[in-house]
Amino acid sequence: MWHKYPNSRCTHVVSIDTIDRTVDPVTGIIRTERVMGCKQKAPLWIVKVRPYSPPACVFAVSNAAARLMQLFGGSEDAFVREISFVDPATQNVTITSVNLSLSQFATCNELIRYSPASPTHTLFSQTAEIQARMALWRSAADGLEKWLVQRFEQNAHLGKLGFTDVLRNLWEERHRAPSPS
Amino acid sequence: MSQSLSPECTPLKQAYDSCFNSWFEGYLEPAIAASTSSETRAAYSKKKADEFQAKCGKVWEEYKACVQKAVKEKGLDKLLQQAREENPLVEPIPPPPVNSTTK
Repeated sequence: MWHKYPNSRCTHVVSIDTIDRTVDPVTGIIRTERVMGCKQKAPLWIVKVRPYSPPACVFAVSNAAARLMQLFGGSEDAFVREISFVDPATQNVTITSVNLSLSQFATCNELIRYSPASPTHTLFSQTAEIQARMALWRSAADGLEKWLVQRFEQNAHLGKLGFTDVLRNLWEERHRAPSPS
Repeated sequence: MSQSLSPECTPLKQAYDSCFNSWFEGYLEPAIAASTSSETRAAYSKKKADEFQAKCGKVWEEYKACVQKAVKEKGLDKLLQQAREENPLVEPIPPPPVNSTTK
């Protein structure tokens, strides 16, 4: 499971870092916390159409996040937090993932579980919970407004400089020209 | 072998990953076998946890320091902190209750 990324079907995962790992000296359960970075390379529909790659939903949100970040001129990398538990006693593996990037707007929590159904079968289950942070839309809107105002100010300033240049050139031309007498 | 989020941490990340992978390779099957009683499980778990610390503890500390710095530089520390507060996930998620009518 720690070798799942990168794979050729999931090229959008570009970095994987373990940020915490414990081996419980009583239960033997391994807990791993990782941060994965993904790039917006594949179009969003590919991520949607092929839900093969857990955490698909998290990546869908992350890719959307990456798109938005590109739009706003930020970093194009989107990051995901993943926590896994491997329990040798019950032979259960659980993996939860949540997007870090743009988590102030929406989060997608994904839970994947592998558990033994019989000696020859493993049960796979996958659930996801998407949550938009409505209370924060206001601040997002405020932020967007501020950004747009800043852009307007910058552009307005540039526009003013440009027009000043035009006027100056006209004025200089007029004064350089021989007086019609 | 994948990359670290910061290129300067990639060699340490790969060293740590290989260390963990080689430790893990011999971990699971004996762990399952030792799970027949809580005593044998605890004895095995303690032995293997100590072994992991002895084998990979040093490279882990170096890698952790590097990646923590990188996480901060990317501005991910606050997002991570928020995610941890909302969902610490320090204990394994219990399986959903089995519905007795469908069992």
